[in-house]
Amino acid sequence: MVVRIRLARFGKKHAPFYNIVVAHARTARNSRPLEVLGTYNPLPQPPRPGDTHGRPWKDIKLDISRARYWIGVGAQPSDTAWRLLAMIGILQPKFRVGQVQNQVIRADTAAKSLIPEPTAETLESVKA
Amino acid sequence: MPPRLHPSTFSSAVTTCSSLRPQCVSQPARTCREFSQTPCQRVTKRRRMFYEWLNTTGAALKEPIPGSTNYLGAYDKFGNLIRASPGWSRKRKDDQPKVEEPASTTDQPGGQEIEDELEISVRRSEQRKVKNKDDENELPPETAEDLRPFPMNKYFRSQPVLSEELREAIYQRVKQDGATVALASVEFGVSNERVGAVVRLKQMEKEWIAQGKVLAIPYSKAVLAMVPTTPYVDPSKPENKYQRPITHEAINDLIVHPATRQQLFVPVAESREFTRVDAGKAFDNGLLPADDRIPHPELVLAEKEIAMGLSLQERTSRALQRMDEEAQRKRRKEDKIKAELMSLKTVPKRRWDFVFKDVSVDAVGRDGRDYRGVGWRYGMPHEDRKRGQVKIPRRIEA
Repeated sequence: MVVRIRLARFGKKHAPFYNIVVAHARTARNSRPLEVLGTYNPLPQPPRPGDTHGRPWKDIKLDISRARYWIGVGAQPSDTAWRLLAMIGILQPKFRVGQVQNQVIRADTAAKSLIPEPTAETLESVKA
Repeated sequence: MPPRLHPSTFSSAVTTCSSLRPQCVSQPARTCREFSQTPCQRVTKRRRMFYEWLNTTGAALKEPIPGSTNYLGAYDKFGNLIRASPGWSRKRKDDQPKVEEPASTTDQPGGQEIEDELEISVRRSEQRKVKNKDDENELPPETAEDLRPFPMNKYFRSQPVLSEELREAIYQRVKQDGATVALASVEFGVSNERVGAVVRLKQMEKEWIAQGKVLAIPYSKAVLAMVPTTPYVDPSKPENKYQRPITHEAINDLIVHPATRQQLFVPVAESREFTRVDAGKAFDNGLLPADDRIPHPELVLAEKEIAMGLSLQERTSRALQRMDEEAQRKRRKEDKIKAELMSLKTVPKRRWDFVFKDVSVDAVGRDGRDYRGVGWRYGMPHEDRKRGQVKIPRRIEA
C-alpha cells in the first residue's frame, strides 16, 4: 500500500489547522496516521511585536530529518505537502517555480517602496 | 433638543440665553403649535432655574480653565470656583505667565553650600507656597473636593492618570537605560503592572509612528487636559534638583490571595517559633509568605539590611550585586529568545513568510500523549466547551 505524506485537517470552522502526517493512502483523512511529522497553521500570523516592518507569517512545525527519511523510503507527498517540503529543500519545487519567485521579488520591492522615508520628526520620536 | 421658548412672550429668558443658544431667537413667534392640544408654554420654575444654571455654572464649565480639571464639583451653585481666592478672575489669566517668569528665576537661593540639600529643597517649596499665597491671581491646585465629577456621588473622586512626559520617561528608563520593571516602578512610584503596560503601549506607539500610521494625538491631548495627571519631575532640570518624584500610587500593596480570605485558628505550641512563612503554609501549602508575595520584596530586604546594622557601602554593594544578577537573568532570557528565533527557518513567499520550526516526532512519547509532542491529538476529546475553560487571552505578546 502506498505511504503518503499529507495534511489532516483539524481545528474548527473557519479556523483550519493541519497535522502533517505520514499515512497509508487509503485510510481516512483524520484517522490515526503512521506518524505525525508536524503541523501547518494556514492562518497568517501578524508580525511579531517589535518587528516594525515585518511581514505576516505562517507557522509550520516539522521534523525535517524524519520527513527526509520518509521521502527516502518512498513516501509520496500530496501536492500541498510537496509545496511545503520543497520550501525547505527536501524536494525539488514542482509548482509555479519561476512565477512564484518573480512574484516574491516584485512583492518585496513593492513592500520596500511602501515604507515611508523616515522624516526628521519620526526619527526624533523613535529615538526619544 | 432646543428649548421650546417663544421670544415674543418671554423676552427676559431669551435675552439671557441668546448668547448660549441662538436657536431660541430664530424660532417663529407662535404662541403654540396649531395641532398641539397641550397648554401654552409658561416660564416654569424649573425652566428658570435651568437658564440660571446655564448662565452661572454652565458658563464657567463651557470654557475649561487651562491646566485644570473641569468638574462640576469644583463650582458652587453661583458658578464660582470654590478653591479660588476671592480676588481671582479668569480674564486676567492671559498676562499671568509673563509676570511670573522673572519672579521664579530670582528666588533661587545662592551660596548655601553648607546647608543640607534636602533642606534647600524644602525651603524652595515653602518659598513657592508663600509666593503663591502672595499672588492673588494664582489658582491653587485642586483639592480632593474639587475632583468630584458627580456632585451627587460624594465618594467618587477622580484619580490621576500618568502624564505624557512621565510615560515617556518610564519608557526611556526601561528600554534605553535597561532598568528592570521593578526598579522603574520604585523610581517613579508607579506599580509594576502599570510600568509594564506603559512600556508595551509606548512601544506600540513608536512602531505605529515608524509605520506612518496617524495617531489620535489631539484626542489624547484633550482628554489628558481634562483629567488630573501625575506630572513628571525631571531630575535633569536645575530647578528639580534634589526633588523627589511624585508618587502616582502605592506600589507595594499586598494582593489578597483567595486562600487567605478565610478566618483560621491554628493552635501552636508556645515553644514553637511561628513565622510568616508558617502562617502562609497554614492557609495553603503552596502559599508563599507575604514577604515574598508583595510586588517589591527587595524594598523589604533593603530595610532588613538597615535593621541589621550594615554599613552604607556594604548595603550598596549588596544591592548592586542583586541588580547585576537580575540583569544577567534578563540577558539570558533575551538570548534564549534570540537563539530560538535564529533557529527558525524563514522562507519568504509572495504574500507572507513561511516559518519552519524543526521539532522531533519522538516528543509525543510512546503512547502519543505527551504534552510536549507536536500536532493535534488523536483520540482525545476537545475540552473547549467544558466548564471553566478560559478562552480570553491571558498573555500579551509584546
